Amino acid sequence: MTLLDFARGPALQFAIIVFVFGVLWRLVGVLLLPRIGDRSPPREGAPATWLGAARTVVRRMWPRREFIERTLYPTLNSYVFHVGLALVVFGLAPHIVFIRDWTGLSWPALPSDLVLAIGVVTLVSLVAVLVRRLVHPVLRLLSHAGDYLSWLVTALPVATGLATTMDFGPRYETMLALHVLSIAALLIWFPFGKLMHAFFFVLSRGATGARFSHRGVEV
Amino acid sequence: MTEPKLLGEVLRERGVSRRAFLMYASCMSSLMALPPSAAAAMAEGLAKARRQSVIWLSFQECTGCIESLTRSFSPSLEDLIFDFISLDYQHALQAASGEAAEDARRHAMRDNKGKYIVVVDGSVPMGDGGVYSTIAGQTNQQMLAETVADAAAVVAVGTCAAFGGLPQAQPNPTGAVPIEQLVAGKPVINIPGCPPLPQAMAGTITQILAFGKLPELDALKRPRAFFGESIHDRCYRRPFYKRGQFAKSFDDEGARKGWCLYELGCKGPVTYNSCATTKWNGGVSFPIQSGHGCIGCSEPGFWDMGGLYRPLASSARPLQRVVPIAAAAGVAVGAGTALLARKRLAGASQQGDKT
Amino acid sequence: MDLLSHPGDGTADAADTPLDGAVAAVLREVAAMLQRLARDPAFDDAIDLMSLQLDDDARARLRRRLGRGEVDATLDLGGCTRIRETAYAGAWWVWRDDADERTQFEQIVVARVPALLRTHPEDVAAAARRLAVELDAAPGRTETP
Repeated sequence: MTLLDFARGPALQFAIIVFVFGVLWRLVGVLLLPRIGDRSPPREGAPATWLGAARTVVRRMWPRREFIERTLYPTLNSYVFHVGLALVVFGLAPHIVFIRDWTGLSWPALPSDLVLAIGVVTLVSLVAVLVRRLVHPVLRLLSHAGDYLSWLVTALPVATGLATTMDFGPRYETMLALHVLSIAALLIWFPFGKLMHAFFFVLSRGATGARFSHRGVEV
Repeated sequence: MTEPKLLGEVLRERGVSRRAFLMYASCMSSLMALPPSAAAAMAEGLAKARRQSVIWLSFQECTGCIESLTRSFSPSLEDLIFDFISLDYQHALQAASGEAAEDARRHAMRDNKGKYIVVVDGSVPMGDGGVYSTIAGQTNQQMLAETVADAAAVVAVGTCAAFGGLPQAQPNPTGAVPIEQLVAGKPVINIPGCPPLPQAMAGTITQILAFGKLPELDALKRPRAFFGESIHDRCYRRPFYKRGQFAKSFDDEGARKGWCLYELGCKGPVTYNSCATTKWNGGVSFPIQSGHGCIGCSEPGFWDMGGLYRPLASSARPLQRVVPIAAAAGVAVGAGTALLARKRLAGASQQGDKT
Repeated sequence: MDLLSHPGDGTADAADTPLDGAVAAVLREVAAMLQRLARDPAFDDAIDLMSLQLDDDARARLRRRLGRGEVDATLDLGGCTRIRETAYAGAWWVWRDDADERTQFEQIVVARVPALLRTHPEDVAAAARRLAVELDAAPGRTETP
């Protein structure tokens, strides 16, 4: 069995099983927790709970005016790599083939050259994120191994994907195997670290929004 | 015994001039991407060589390799390879049979001791003492060992001989192994393919004959002249790949427009061979040009790459069953942890009520 | 025939043949090789057109641009090989099609004479021997020099 056979075979199968199992475990485990219900009547003019939740999710997509000066750079940089990742992951034809393989869903692809350019920008942005985390004293203090691991399993697929497409490094089939293995690593780590924010951010922002909109406050 | 004549003389007696040698060498050099200046040296080398004794052993094979080499699409210079070599033993082509054939083999081995080339097609089964393939009362392993002992070099032709091929595919019931695993102390060249391109077989033998040494080989012992580039790197449908235009099913609009076959399982990106440039049947076409993705037939274990029609980007193992099971398990465990949390909360509030 | 006129149809088309990247690059290489041949009469090299993967259109344009010279030879070597001098003395178009008229071999050779046209010394020696033997055997033989 070559490295590529192993990567596309047992490694990927195991990774997808762990990913699906882990994500659903954590999501269901949180969603089925007992609700701390607020028995007080809602403030006059308060929106419905779900609407209050949704509004906060959207409102927090951009920093409040008071904080913009301090948070503009990390916010923008964050958007660059998040959007970049989304476009690369969901826009490149082989990736769509991969997703269709285990979900049955598919959609039209972006031109591969465009995705390559976006990928380069995404990688640069990710490196900038790491540099900031290492340089900023507060972030460095707060960061632990899990944070750096989350960064690594996110950056490696981008780096290996670019190397594979650009014929950089070992032969194509080896590079492709490394790319698939790095994705397997990402999928395996995903449910157990901060990468779960991908699903949880909606729940946490929504919960805060629901609670405060009940009291008539926009947060 | 008198020294055998040089090829230049032998072929002149048949009306083949040195000019014809140069034409053959020019065509071969062009095919192997050697510089044009190499043609003259190749022609001289060939003319000064003696007819090369070749013993062709066939083990767990389908005879496709010799069929590929002998399918002369247009009788021409390519047939010269059969004048350059003396095919002293070959099951499909030899006139002799039975013990006479085996005698011919041993005779050639004796007469050309240390100088003959052994070409092998087919893998060798090792299971149960090698009983799954025997010829003239010998297991393949025994015949290989006996024949290779005084050989100058071994050329494993076809993916079965080079890498194990179809017999070695899961679950490999006969314990098939590639030739290389059983040959020690002799130079081995692999010319894989299912079958290999006839030009790859003839060109490699020509190169050995003309220059008296092995061609440049890659890590899998394949001649770089024919296996140096991937199909993907020379595929004429590459622009469609770059633009993201893929055929989604055979005979859909994309397929009819000749779009990239990546999504239909084409293994071109991980397959090294010359099909995209040299093509098959005298340059008529090759699988991708005919609308079918490359199956990766010159790569080790290509039968077990997950399926001819499963794209490289998808898992090599089917996921339709395991994903719902994993999902159900995740939901169950999640519900379980939530239930535990609820119980803990109910227990705590009870405790609180008591105080 | 007007010996002072330029032979062939190449130069007449030269002005209006569009030169894209690949064709222009090959022409520049031919030009450089011709310069070397001009300095060294023993120079002999070729550009293998099969390895360049030019499309049919580019190949046709290149052929048109180089035009035809004075020599047009056919070699019967178990198949038909053609050698045609271009409008530029010293540059030759050499090609060979298989029985299905597919191009098997195609080169632009830059040399005083392409090697395929030059008779090999061994072929000459064999021919000399053969003719001598035949003349010896023939009745009413003449004195051999």
